[in-house]
Amino acid sequence: MPLTFQHQQLANGLDVIAEANADAHSIAIGMFVNTGSRDEEPAINGVSHFLEHMMFKGSEKYTWQDVNRIFDEMGARYNAFTSQEMTAYYANVLPEFTQRATEHLAHLLRPAIRQEDFDTEKKVILEEIAMYLDDPGHRVYEQAMAEHFGEHPLSQSVLGAAQRIRELTRQQMQEYFARRYGPGNMAVVATGRVDFPAFVELVERYCGRWPRVDAPRRYPQPAYAPRRKSLSDPKLNRHYIMGFTPGPSAQDERRFAARVLSDVIGDSEGSRFYWALVDKAIAEDADFGFYPHDRCGSYYLSLTTDPDRAHEAMQIALSELEKVKSDLNDDEVERAKNKIASSIVLQGEIPLGRMRAIGGQWLYNREYRSLEQDMATLRAITPQSLRDLMREFPFEPMTIVELGPGKA
Amino acid sequence: MSERYFQHSYSNGLTLLGEKMPGMQSAAMTLLVPAGAASDPPEASGAGAVLSDLLFRGAGPRDSRQLTDYLDSLGLQRSSNVGVHHMRFSCAAVADKVVEALGAYADVVRRPHLPEDGFRAARELALAALAGLEDEPRQKVMVLLRERHFPWPLGRNTMGRKQELENLTLECCRAHFGRMFQPRGTILAVAGNIDFARLRDEVERHFGDWTGQEPAALELRPPPGRFHHEQHASEQTHIGLAYPSIEETHPDYYAMRLAVEALGGGMSARLFTEIREKRALVYNVWAGYSSLKGYGSIMGYAGTSNDRAQATLDTFIVELHRLAEGIAADELERARIGLKASTIMQGESTSARAGAIAHDFFMRGRIRTLDEIKNAIDAVSLDQVNDYLRRNRPGEMTIVTVGPTPLRMGG
Repeated sequence: MPLTFQHQQLANGLDVIAEANADAHSIAIGMFVNTGSRDEEPAINGVSHFLEHMMFKGSEKYTWQDVNRIFDEMGARYNAFTSQEMTAYYANVLPEFTQRATEHLAHLLRPAIRQEDFDTEKKVILEEIAMYLDDPGHRVYEQAMAEHFGEHPLSQSVLGAAQRIRELTRQQMQEYFARRYGPGNMAVVATGRVDFPAFVELVERYCGRWPRVDAPRRYPQPAYAPRRKSLSDPKLNRHYIMGFTPGPSAQDERRFAARVLSDVIGDSEGSRFYWALVDKAIAEDADFGFYPHDRCGSYYLSLTTDPDRAHEAMQIALSELEKVKSDLNDDEVERAKNKIASSIVLQGEIPLGRMRAIGGQWLYNREYRSLEQDMATLRAITPQSLRDLMREFPFEPMTIVELGPGKA
Repeated sequence: MSERYFQHSYSNGLTLLGEKMPGMQSAAMTLLVPAGAASDPPEASGAGAVLSDLLFRGAGPRDSRQLTDYLDSLGLQRSSNVGVHHMRFSCAAVADKVVEALGAYADVVRRPHLPEDGFRAARELALAALAGLEDEPRQKVMVLLRERHFPWPLGRNTMGRKQELENLTLECCRAHFGRMFQPRGTILAVAGNIDFARLRDEVERHFGDWTGQEPAALELRPPPGRFHHEQHASEQTHIGLAYPSIEETHPDYYAMRLAVEALGGGMSARLFTEIREKRALVYNVWAGYSSLKGYGSIMGYAGTSNDRAQATLDTFIVELHRLAEGIAADELERARIGLKASTIMQGESTSARAGAIAHDFFMRGRIRTLDEIKNAIDAVSLDQVNDYLRRNRPGEMTIVTVGPTPLRMGG
């Protein structure tokens, strides 16, 4: 059965999009807001993510107990996430709960942000920050983003620093919410068993009176440079390295080629990094991947090694990046394409997977891409596409941050 | 069996299971070989972990690179890992590619090369993973919890032990392979866009003449002391708890699952409400049912700031005991709809179903259909749940903490 896409914009500017799959057993509904850590003034860094938590604490009508109870009464699989560029709230429910889930998500998006809940939840945010400090992979990632992007807003961490969070006030959060959350800066997405006309009517009923917001985003030019930073923490056993370098943006047509290239270089199986580093146990993890952002993009490399082999592993990784520019072969490109095609098929079978893909695509591009389109674009990628891409984005300058037990 | 489900036992002891899922393009395979970490040789903890890597470094007619390239060319999303009872091989892709891959998987489990240089690298990687575990207190606490909660060898760290990995030889791995990789008790499950007749023939072709003896049964020993603190200068204290529960095949199984859902299911469940929402003691807290053959357990975790860790542990234990007093009707109904919805949505994932039917066959000797599960969940009454809870108060708890300061663990 083909998946069918429809879009309608409500009178208040709210975009409603849906991809219907008659074979699905459930519906996934998401509210995607075009806001994240990059849109925060430094003094309120962490507010988008803290706000995401506060959305679950009740609206004018509901307390946090009501919010949780109502989701669970639907047997919903629900959650939210905040990134540098978007915040999304979603529920995956059986089709008979479509109306309730839509109504409930709409309540979420009009939070009360009560002082008592704000003060309590602040402690949970601080626990989350502490949890990630016990995760060396995450630490090196945050440091590498900060170092790579420098003065650019993408350098800001999603969680924010503990001290900033302690100082954040409810008024600051409410102002941020009022500025960034509303039609014109968000989309409502449904995938799976969707009856589109009925769904539009629901969204109109529950969200139709929300006022439009005009929430611009700054796009300063990133100033990339080959920066280096070495951090040490004596209690660590392994050495963690992360590198960032410019790549295509979320709007760039070459982002599909970038995905294929990343697979060739750094997939967990059968990639350049796998054979050069993991197969030989020079590194236990060696990844290369692609993060598209809004109007800019990054490739990343990530290595985990024995502290004594970190330097060697890094040299090998960099030399593999140099080699692939000239000795890329047809077979490895074909294999990468086959793996990605598979993952496109698998993702298409799960409503939540499609919801995330479609919501993200809409926020970045105001565009829908069907699975067939993605497959066709993938098929059209050739080794020459990847060579052209590497000429345009030659993996430099690269910022490298390391975290290990040794002296800095 | 119905048109949707398929089961075939081969004379060599291998079982093939199939679930046809309409509307899917993909298929997923789960292959369980009874060679889990519990079966690692007594002085060679980690032999399975090394073997699970080494098996793919050349098998049948293909060397390491040829095998990887072949599986990649089929587009297989794949993984292999060592569990307690089994070594598990999973893959998913467009359906006919998964069926095509069966020959290569047969090579891996029947005719691996197990090369010397590959062995050295695989052992290095296993040692590296163990060393990396020291940097992940959240993972480490659950590893230590299992070691202290389950009888030996069921609680053994599936990643192995450092000293024993350092002493591990290729001969030992080869002998382990020879002993453990055989068809008796091996389960091959495929779900998705499949044709049973074709599947049965392919499996017959690749696995039909596989032979082997069932290995000796495990001898169990009681675990070490049930309270343990591991010193670690972490930002949070990581707490793991476990207590014994009923087996999967017990008549109270669904009543138990509903009770545990009311404890630790959604955000309105007890643990999230009392420990996170009300007291803000944690970001991450959960509890769930954990199943080994012959042993069911309730296991839980909480990560909490060091200065509040005692309060978190105390509250967690109070909640585990309070559950035994019984749950209310509205809690049961939320648990019921939550479990039913998860069950139904499992039917959207070929990987989830392949794993589920394989697990069911191992634990229960048969496939449970999604309808059977939904009906069983619907059939449980409030009285049954509360009666189960009254008769199954938390017994002796195993408690492990990882953090800078030990906690009082009485309770």
